[in-house]
Amino acid sequence: MVDTTTQSRAVASLASPRYAGWIGRAVSSSLYRNTIGRLADNRWIRLAVLAGVPLIWLVMLHIGPIVQMTNISFIANYPPQPGKSSDYTLANYALFFSDRLYFMPFIRTLIFAAVVTVSTLVIVYPVAYYVAKVIQPKNRMRALLLLLIPFWAGELIRTFSIIMLLANRGAVNVLLRELGFIDRPIPMLYTFFSLSFGVVYLLALYMLLPLYSAIEKIPTPLIHAAADLGAGPFQRFRRVILPLSRDGIVSGCSLVYLTAVGVFAAPLLLGGPNAVIFPEVIAMLFHGSNDKWPEGAAFSMIMLVISLTTVGLFMRVVGGRSIRLM
Amino acid sequence: MRTYFSDLPKTALGASYWLFAVYLVLPLALMMAMSFKDANFIAFPIGNWTLDWYGKVLHDKQFLAASLYSIGIALATTICATIIGVWIALLVSAENIWGKSAIFALACLPAVVPGLINAISMRIFIRAVDIPTGTFAIILSHTVHAVPFVVIMVLTRLRSMPANLVDAARDLGADPFVAFLRVTIPYLMPALLGGMIFCVLTSIDDFVRTFFLGGYQPTLPMLIFAKVQGGMSPEINAMATIVLVVTTAVGLYAEYLTRRSRS
Repeated sequence: MVDTTTQSRAVASLASPRYAGWIGRAVSSSLYRNTIGRLADNRWIRLAVLAGVPLIWLVMLHIGPIVQMTNISFIANYPPQPGKSSDYTLANYALFFSDRLYFMPFIRTLIFAAVVTVSTLVIVYPVAYYVAKVIQPKNRMRALLLLLIPFWAGELIRTFSIIMLLANRGAVNVLLRELGFIDRPIPMLYTFFSLSFGVVYLLALYMLLPLYSAIEKIPTPLIHAAADLGAGPFQRFRRVILPLSRDGIVSGCSLVYLTAVGVFAAPLLLGGPNAVIFPEVIAMLFHGSNDKWPEGAAFSMIMLVISLTTVGLFMRVVGGRSIRLM
Repeated sequence: MRTYFSDLPKTALGASYWLFAVYLVLPLALMMAMSFKDANFIAFPIGNWTLDWYGKVLHDKQFLAASLYSIGIALATTICATIIGVWIALLVSAENIWGKSAIFALACLPAVVPGLINAISMRIFIRAVDIPTGTFAIILSHTVHAVPFVVIMVLTRLRSMPANLVDAARDLGADPFVAFLRVTIPYLMPALLGGMIFCVLTSIDDFVRTFFLGGYQPTLPMLIFAKVQGGMSPEINAMATIVLVVTTAVGLYAEYLTRRSRS
């Protein structure tokens, strides 16, 4: 008896309309057939639907802001008075080169970003290698996950947590004092050190993921072959592993560098008066009265062009093909 | 049998892994521990322990309002970014489109422009087109930020999709729209889920864009930032701990979902 019911049910479901469910019902209605259905049959309309929204979005919101920022950066009188045409000038760019107050933080930012990038690379490379090649494959995802968990906490929360570690009455200083190494706390917070420490902490993930996926792709037999041919650990690393992980190094370094150049929350919380970096200078020009906007736009353009050029040159020299996270 | 790795490098690598793990976890663990401190200021050692700060935070109207506001923005961002990201990915993966690589490069542009410049250029842009700062501007900039990641995730998944799946659906009488709804979308689902949760987390996390584009109502990061600037107490730690636990749980769940759908 039971068998016949299931059988008849199966027959019934076969006999029911081809499109089951609400999509099917909507699609087979005459309203749909005469509207969307008819439009979808026309190749050109299909192409227009496929391309329309993405192209409008990309042009409006991916290029538009950059174009408008470039435009503003050349304007002399901002905001423009109604009925008066705005004058174009290079003065906003000239200001940057004429004043040490603007120029020095910029140099400091480039050095800072480079230091952060190199430190992150040195710290993360052995970790990525360990996860990709030494750990048993079945434990690999778990080992990676343990490192990913802290990155789900937000940027601001992680920056804030660095304060717990480095403050005058933070964990490190208290521990050192309890152990009797120091009498008074070492001022670590609000310095260049705390800023770099925090930014390495924030950005390590952008180095870890590309390095991991690049190193994981190196065929292990290749490393074994090098060992069989008599290469020691250092030689294996320098001649085999390092060249083959180049794509990961280039991606990781580019991502970390580009993000480090533009960090904003970290300098506000961890930086001090002696560690003013360029993003703070730019932000200063935008907060306050509006007439500083052209200068701010010009400075942003300088920062954008120089940082992208640096990464481009780096990729050309080292020879990576593209930037990818995984 | 010959050992290819002598033990010393292996031990050193293992040590570097565990040191790195401690480096990542320790500050957050300290931050969480401090939220139980029974005193008005943040300092080690933590003498007495209490749960009072959590009670205070959970009754804090500002915190609840900021949480709701952040979640609302995150959901709106996720919906917009998913729709537009999938749309762009479909365009890039279409067969007979001219200039595909240029479109793809353009779609990825916001991901390589430093965040601060993203925020500032958007601030200049919305003024030029007369959009006021506030909720809409925040959602717009968060969406622009999230779209490249959705595009990349969806494209990766689309590349692994057998081309004849859609052809088969078309042969069986589905028009392109139906084939998209009933074949492509279900196939993309794991990538979409991963992408959506990524959108939610980046939006809730975002500070710099909200800083330049926000109105008077604070999002969660803005509220925490204001509290840190206004003088620190373990109340901030309790607040941050709640946010951290929730976002990490969501992240882990996303990881679980994508892993399950992959196997």
